[in-house]
Order: sequence, then structure tokens, then C-alpha cells
Amino acid sequence: MNYKLLHIFRNTPFGRETFLQSLYFCKTINAFPVAYIPKSDKFLMYFSNDAVQVDLDHSYLTSSDTAKGHAEDLFKEMQIKPMFYEPKNFTASTLPDISTNFDYLCCPRSVSDLSSKIGLGHIGPKVRRIIKHSTFPILITSPVFKPWKSISVFFGGSKNALNALKLGLKIAMSSGFALKIYTLLEKQDEAYYKDLIKKEGLAEPVGQLSSHWHFYEKKDFNTMLYDVPHDSLIVLGAYGHGIIKDILLGSKMEQIQSTVTNNLLITGPYCSVEL
Amino acid sequence: MSKIKNFYKNLYRRLFQMDDRLLLIIAGSIAGICSGLAAVALRLSLESVLELFHPFRQYWWAFILPAVGALLSSFYLEKIAREGAGHGVPEVIYSVSRYGGLLRFRSSYSRLISSFLTIGSGGSAGPEAPVVMSGSSIGSNIAKFLGLNDRQRITLVGCGTAGAIASIFNAPIAGMVFAIEVILGEWKFVNIIPIAIAAVAGAQVSHALIPDQVIFNHLPFQVGGADILPSLGLAVVTAMVSVLFTKTLRQTGKIAKKSSLPFWARAIIGGSTVGIIGMFMPVVLAEGYHSIQSMISGTFSMGMFFVFLAVFAKIFATAMTLGWGGSGGIFAPCLVIGSLTGVLFHKMLIVLVPSFGCASEGAYALLGMTGLVSGVMQAPLTGIFLIVEITGGYETILPLIVVSSISSTMSHYIEPASFYFKELIERGQFLRPGTDARILSDLNIRELIETEFVKVSENMVFRKFIELLKISNQNFFPVIEDETQEYKGVIQISAIRKFALDPGMYDMVFLNQIMDTKVMTASLENDLQEVLDMMDINHMDSMPVVENRRFIGMISKTRILDLYRRELIMQTSDQ
Repeated sequence: MNYKLLHIFRNTPFGRETFLQSLYFCKTINAFPVAYIPKSDKFLMYFSNDAVQVDLDHSYLTSSDTAKGHAEDLFKEMQIKPMFYEPKNFTASTLPDISTNFDYLCCPRSVSDLSSKIGLGHIGPKVRRIIKHSTFPILITSPVFKPWKSISVFFGGSKNALNALKLGLKIAMSSGFALKIYTLLEKQDEAYYKDLIKKEGLAEPVGQLSSHWHFYEKKDFNTMLYDVPHDSLIVLGAYGHGIIKDILLGSKMEQIQSTVTNNLLITGPYCSVEL
Repeated sequence: MSKIKNFYKNLYRRLFQMDDRLLLIIAGSIAGICSGLAAVALRLSLESVLELFHPFRQYWWAFILPAVGALLSSFYLEKIAREGAGHGVPEVIYSVSRYGGLLRFRSSYSRLISSFLTIGSGGSAGPEAPVVMSGSSIGSNIAKFLGLNDRQRITLVGCGTAGAIASIFNAPIAGMVFAIEVILGEWKFVNIIPIAIAAVAGAQVSHALIPDQVIFNHLPFQVGGADILPSLGLAVVTAMVSVLFTKTLRQTGKIAKKSSLPFWARAIIGGSTVGIIGMFMPVVLAEGYHSIQSMISGTFSMGMFFVFLAVFAKIFATAMTLGWGGSGGIFAPCLVIGSLTGVLFHKMLIVLVPSFGCASEGAYALLGMTGLVSGVMQAPLTGIFLIVEITGGYETILPLIVVSSISSTMSHYIEPASFYFKELIERGQFLRPGTDARILSDLNIRELIETEFVKVSENMVFRKFIELLKISNQNFFPVIEDETQEYKGVIQISAIRKFALDPGMYDMVFLNQIMDTKVMTASLENDLQEVLDMMDINHMDSMPVVENRRFIGMISKTRILDLYRRELIMQTSDQ
């Protein structure tokens, strides 16, 4: 395994928490964290069908002279070899292009709105666009460093949810932590979901790696969220519906992220996960 | 519901999936109309604001107007739109070269606003590059909305560009030629039709909203065979002026970037300088279409010495506007400088050879414009068609072709890269379709790596390795450390012959004693060009790829050649 996670480093106490979270994630699943210390307050990410400009809030450029040292200290603390990302291409002199050839990306809930960075708030528009277009999962960290000890997959039966389940299995395999699956019964019964994973050839790994599969009635959504252990990494798919459905009915992912404080690992519609 | 869905799917497949030309024509016309509207909006608003400020130009304090405009413009770009500087056209070419024409949505309006502030206040710049940026971005975002692929998106970027240029100059052929010659860099059948239709759509929008427009009216020119020889001389002069203009623009921009001044101070300095020059020489202010009109119609009243000064003043004013924080393009300044050069050349010709029966001053202004556009952009066809279309004068076509071709050739000889391409070439990002650099940049190192390699332990005894060799067809064996699985070196069959031929050594040698640890390795971060350069320097045919001290696979020239050919065929085919 040679997975790499990109972390946009913020040289503040809050940034330290999220970076520790990234380092812990990488150490647990045996991946390599790569830190990018921004030199300008914006960068571009070119995905296959969108160019996303990320406007960072000014806290990302705090004390740029000490940023690298602070990041190196945190790498050392977690006994990981420091690796830094330097952009090679620039759309304009102050607008670097950040590579999208990574396996994971760590994001706080918002990168461009200083006011909502500590609280849960809503996922910012840039982070949302990154999730929608990225081909890799996005790690949205909890506001403070919180080592996770298990994996919880929210499985709703969609294509994105299947990806999330595969990702959860993958993380469980590499970390050795227990995997729990949570399903909200909206239109189908339990048998339907069990058949579905059989059809997808996931029944065997799920049987081996998953300790529990919890089913909840539609009305018990909040109970389900409360039942997820506080120190569990939540893996879920996002934006599986079209934009109209998302606007009219809202997104489950948005609801979940604004309720739980756990670390979230999100797979978007273009994300492909292989076991 | 499902019947409607199926009908729609069937219709979509029949119309668009079998052959995407119809889709591109429809989407291209929409891009052309939208970019045409954007261009007309900018043109009309500029006309209004320039007319509004005109009475104030006589006051002593008028020099601060361009400074205020540049300040607002740079503040808008830096703090509100957060665009990242640049006047746009190189960014569009970069995006087409490298990212299949992906452009940000904000670019569809940000440059329009910033250039409106700059040019409207009197800054020396043109509205054409901003509308190109806007049109391209509109095309790109329509492609994104429709979920089109890279090739289709690039065509729509061309459509947006063509529609914008066609609309702002009411010149559809020039719009089409500019999009293909400068932005896309490839004359493909599949591109030409949608771009032509988009150009016509853009021009029609412009015509509908601003009827009866010929940007520069003039009486018919009497151009004869006697003008061919002076045209040659004018071509040489315009080539020299083009190079001077390009170099001044770049140098002034570099000085501004090196200075430690904040963006707002740079904008104030640049804008004030232009304002002060403009008080003594109003011809340098704004886009300069009125001055061009008077030169073409032969009513330009400046004497020879002042025209000479005006050429340099306009060059300097444009450099200060664009290099020091203003926003806009160089198209219109090229036209002004070119027409001034043409007028100056005509005046000198009359002084030197009073009895020479050459064409009027206006005709030479026209030729000068072509020379400058062709020289600065090194795009001869754009120069010819633009001038012919915006003046409606086909009588000068022969000297236009002479001036355009000689000026672009000469300026290319002195300065091999045009203003638009220079920065991209310096950054190694000028990647035209079908060129070596473009093909290599489009190949991803990940898809070239051969991963099916048997790895061997550094503690393996040589006898065991010989056994392995008997059943393997590998020429390279990556050696790894047992515990950490880290890459340590490589065993090359050609390098271990002496051990293989001496059975006495089989139980005495371990692989870590004979492996080659100095072999150059590539990483996934390397560009293919870098990998090939490393292979050439070290005379290697294959190279290990190592990432985070772990062996990923081998990359070989044979595999690169296979995929290079596939990519070349794809890029140069007409589909």
C-alpha cells in the first residue's frame, strides 16, 4: 500500500488539531501524509470536470516563517517522516495548481470562512465542490484531535454508499479496527440491503470484518446518530442524488456532519474505491 | 414518467452520442451568443463611461482618474474576485494546453468588471482580452454543465472566444481565425464549424444590439502597385515596434512584481503615470478607438514629431497600465500604436520623397495596425482578417498581406515567442496539440508503470536467485528490505554475469552485496519529460519508480513509445 494524503497546513492551534488528525489517520491505515504549506491565500484544483479555486481564510498564512518548523515537529511527534508538497504548475503567479493525484485529502469543514471553522457549522461551498468532484475520499476532521478506535459506515444502498462500504472495509483491513454498519430503513427492508451486498460481492468481506450491522426505522435517524460511538471514524457517501433532490430534500451527509463531532471520511460521486 | 425519460434518452443518443457535431454546434452557438452579449455589455458601458468622464479631462486633477480606476480594478481583482493577476489570454491558452480548457466560472465576469474600471477611467488598455477571457470561461462552463469531455470542452472554449471577438469588433471571420490561430492552435475540421457558427452568432448579437456599426468608417483607399515597396519598409518598422512593445510590457511588469510595494500603491503609481502622460497626449488614454478613427479618415492633426512621441508614449502608458495593476488587453493598444506607426511612416515618406504617389495616410494607418497586431501576436491571419473586417476595406488586401506576413516573420525572428506565449514558454507550459511536449504532458506516469515485477530480498543468497532467474523473464529485479519492505536497489541481469558464470560464488554471495544501489529512480511526482531526460542522461532503457522508499514498478522506453503513439494518433486524428 502506498497511499498518500494531502493536508493543507494551517499554522494555528486549530490547524495543529486537524493536522494531528491527519497524521493519526495516516499512521493508522499505513498511508503517507503530505503537508502543503500555502504561500498564497488561494489555489486551484483541476478535477476532471471542474476547476475549483480554494480561497483560504487568512489564518492559513499565519506566521509563515514558523509553519514548516511546526509541521515538522508534529511529524516527529507522530514518528512520521516529514513530506511537503510544492506546487509545480501555476495558473497565475499567485495561483498555484495543486495536484489531484492523491488518495485522500484532509479538509476542515470550511477553508474560506474564518467564523465557522471551530464550530461544526455547515460544510463550506469550496469543500462541498471538492467532495463533489474529487476522485479520492475526503477526510473531514473533528474540531479537536480525537483518535478513533472503530469504523462506522453509513450504508443507504446507493452507488456512493457502496463505495463508502468498500472504503470502510479497506480502512478496517489496514487499521485492524472493528467495522460497524448503520442502515436507515427508508423504502426497503433489511433483506434488500443484505441481497445488495451479496450481488456486489461484498458479503464475504463484510462477514469477516464487520462486527455489527444495525438497522433503524426512518424515524430513528437521530437515535442512529447517537448510537455511533464518539470515537469512531464515520465513513459515508455524499451527493449521490442530483442537485434538485439535494436542494429540495436536503443532503443526508450535510445533516450528519452538522450533528456529529466524529471524524468523517466522505466519498463523492466521482470517487472510485477498489478493495 | 419512465416513458418520457426513455424518449429523452433515445433522442439524446440519436442526436448527440452517434456524432457530437450537432451537440457542439448547438452548444457553440449558445456560447457565441452569451459571449457576444458579454462583449456588447462591456463595449456599451465603456462608451457611456468614457463619454461621462470626457468633460472632466480638461481639469488639472484629471490625472488621478486612471489612478482611481486602476486602484479599484486591482482591489476588485485581488480582494473581491480573488482572481490572481494576468490579463487573461495566456491563462486561457494554459488551460486549453494543460487542463482540457477548464476555466473558473468567476472568470466569465471578473475581467469584464476590472477592465471596465481600468479602461473607463482612462487606463491604456483594450477590452478584447477581457472579453476573450469571459467568452472562453462561458464556453468552458457550458461544457461543464453539459458534462462534455476535454476535446468538446476545448471546442466550446474556442466558440466562446470567437463569439467574443466577433461581437466586440463585429468581425466574425477575425473571431474565428483568432480562436483557432491563437487560442486552440489547431485547424481541425471538427472545431472549425462550431467555432464559425459561434463567431457568426456573436457578431449577430452585436449587430442586433448596436445596428449599423462599422467600427472605423473611411472613404475608399486608392492603393496601387507603388505602395508595395513602402509596405515592405512599413512591415520592417512595425516589426521593430512590435518587439519594442512586447519587451517594454514584459520588463515593466517584471519591475512592478519585483517592487515591494503593495498592490494598491502599484496601481496608484501606474494609473497616475498614465494620467499625467494623458494630460499632454490624450491619444494614449483608454482604448483609443476615436484616435484610430481620425487617423484612418485622414483627420489626425498631430505633426510628425508628436506622432513619433505618441508611439512611445502609448507603449509606455500601456505598459504602466497593465504591468502596474490595471486590467485589460493589448489588442486595442496594438491598433493605436500600429496606426500611429503607419501615420508616422507616411509622413516620413512624404518628407523624404515629396513626389511619391502613394496612398493616403489613412491607408498606411491601416497597414500599420495589421503590422502591429501580426507582430505582437505573431498571428498573421488574425491581423489581416481583423483589419479587413473592421474597416470594411478590401482594396488594401495585397499590402495588408505583405505587411502582416513580413512583420510577423521578422518579429518572430527577433523575439521567437509572441507576447501571449512568452510567459508560458518560459514556464514550460506552452503545449500545443500534437507536439512532443503536449503528448508527454498528457501521459500519466501512473499508466506507464509496469507493476508485475518479482521483488527479491536483500538477504537472498545468490543460488536462490539463480533458481528464480531460470523461471523468470525479468531483466531487472528490485531488491527490498525484509522488515520494512523498503526499496534498496536493483539487480540487473547484465551486471551480474561474472557471478552467474562462477558456481563457486553461488553460496557465498548475497544480493545486498551485488545489487546496484546507484541506479537513478523516478517517482510518481516526476513529469514524463523529466523521467525521459533522466533516462537519456544515464543511458537507461528502464527505470525503477520508487515512492516513499517503496518500489512501485518499472517504467520503460518501450512502454512510453507504445502509449506515445496511441496519444499522438488520438491528438492528430480529426475526430
